[in-house]
Amino acid sequence: MRLRTWAFCLNEANQNLLRNPVLAIASVTTTAVSLLVLGVFLLLSVNVNAIATSIESQVAVRAFFSQNVPRSQEMAEMQTVRGWSDVRTATLVTKAEALAQLKQEFGDQAKVLDTLGTANPLEDSLSVTAQRPQDVKGLASRLSHLGGVVHTTYQSAVVSRLFALIDDVRIVGLVIGVLLLIGSLLVITNAIRLGMTARRREIGIMRLVGATESLVHWPFILEGLILGGIGALVASALAYWSYVAAYHTAVHSLPFLPLISPSPVARDIALLLFVLGILLGAVGFRISVRRLARI
Amino acid sequence: MISVRRVTKVYPNGVTALREVDLEIAKGEFVFLVGASGAGKTTLLRLLFREETPTSGSVIVNGHDVGRMRPRQIPYLRRQIGVVFQDFRLLPQRNIQENIAFALRVIEVHPREIRRRVNQVLELVGLSDRGLALPAQLSGGEQQRIALARAMVSRPVMLLADEPTGNLDPQNAEEMMRIMLEINRLGTTVVMATHAAHLVDRARQRVVAMADGSIQRDELAAAYHMEVNR
Ligand SMILES: Nc1ncnc2c1ncn2[C@@H]1O[C@H](COP(=O)(O)OP(=O)(O)OP(=O)(O)O)[C@@H](O)[C@H]1O
Ligand SMILES: [Mg+2]
Repeated sequence: MRLRTWAFCLNEANQNLLRNPVLAIASVTTTAVSLLVLGVFLLLSVNVNAIATSIESQVAVRAFFSQNVPRSQEMAEMQTVRGWSDVRTATLVTKAEALAQLKQEFGDQAKVLDTLGTANPLEDSLSVTAQRPQDVKGLASRLSHLGGVVHTTYQSAVVSRLFALIDDVRIVGLVIGVLLLIGSLLVITNAIRLGMTARRREIGIMRLVGATESLVHWPFILEGLILGGIGALVASALAYWSYVAAYHTAVHSLPFLPLISPSPVARDIALLLFVLGILLGAVGFRISVRRLARI
Repeated sequence: MISVRRVTKVYPNGVTALREVDLEIAKGEFVFLVGASGAGKTTLLRLLFREETPTSGSVIVNGHDVGRMRPRQIPYLRRQIGVVFQDFRLLPQRNIQENIAFALRVIEVHPREIRRRVNQVLELVGLSDRGLALPAQLSGGEQQRIALARAMVSRPVMLLADEPTGNLDPQNAEEMMRIMLEINRLGTTVVMATHAAHLVDRARQRVVAMADGSIQRDELAAAYHMEVNR
């Protein structure tokens, strides 16, 4: 089509929107809200994911030695473990250090431990951290086969519960987002259909005088793209700027949280939301197109 | 120009609107389609601009086999055919110039050419001074002349008119008739379905009379009713 014909189609699309401003605003608003919800959940889930990953990699695997293992053997085992490629740190925690640590953790209640007298029921152990979170499990099993080691522990339960929680959050977010998307799709489809009905006469005359079907279709495709596009623009701008703002606030007040910096993630998600919005408009037209054939 | 051969049209609801109709119309002819209500006049016209397809038989218009035409080709057929209806089918929010220009804009004619041709057809129908009026500000007769101008602005080789004077008073009907005969004189083939006996009688053109889906009479320089003592 020629440029002036595009201009003609765009003008027809705009007239549809102006003829039904309430429906147009409703379409844009529902699209923006549903995309924004989706965007917020996506940003939330990538961040919680990052936090969980960093926690898991910091989790120490503890390998406890039997009471009768000599200190020299323990030191040798530590050197062996330090040589493994998936190990980040490995330190020996003597039972005296473990008791002192325990006392510190008990704080005011440390007196309870005084009942033990001079006896120390604890064991020497190796505290090992992994290079990557997915190495932890394998590392634990290898440590349990180490000479003199009686048992190993790591906080797998906590971490796996955290990951399960992330999955739940992600699914809930996705379900809510998709439901809202379906809602906004219905509103957009309705707006386009109403435009088709309102423009019956024009469509009839266009066909009568020999306009091609694509020219009959384009005003409505553009209408869908405009509705979806504006909604998407609002959602991606809001998602982007609010994430940047939230990130900078969090970095100052909660510096220990390993949050994901806005670029590129906020930009990517803003882009994704925009594409989704455009897609919503296109799908809205696709659903309405059958009505056009019957006019 | 138009060649209808053994055409039968049965609508989906089972009504047979045309039965084995044969009709040849040459380039430059003026043909009246007459007959009682329900005779099949509108159906025949609708077949010619591919608003309907024949159930059997063939419809050839300007060299195109309209019945077997692919949907993508229909617009190009329609650009060669002007159509006028009993109701004028103008766009109420657009002024007269825009209504006529609309027909050219949607087939991507250059704006300068559009302006030139809109002025030409407005002159043809005698409404050059009403270009900026809205349809509602015009009389029925004037609105129908605008519809005629819109049908002619793409310079079709053929004009199809379905009871174009049906909603007009006698004076406006005659003016409309005069313009259509003028259009025919300038070379356009015209097929007009009508109940207006006096217009047919005055014009003395070819008359095709239909009844119950068949052609009963086909005479040159004829009258609305059969003339026994000719
Ligand atoms: N779209 C349709 N679906 C079903 N039947 C139709 C349709 N259009 C017309 N008919 C039937 O076909 C027959 C011929 O109708 P048509 O409109 O061609 O007659 P006509 O000669 O134009 O009549 P009139 O003078 O009243 O306009 C009629 O019986 C009519 O009821
Ligand atoms: Mg009719």
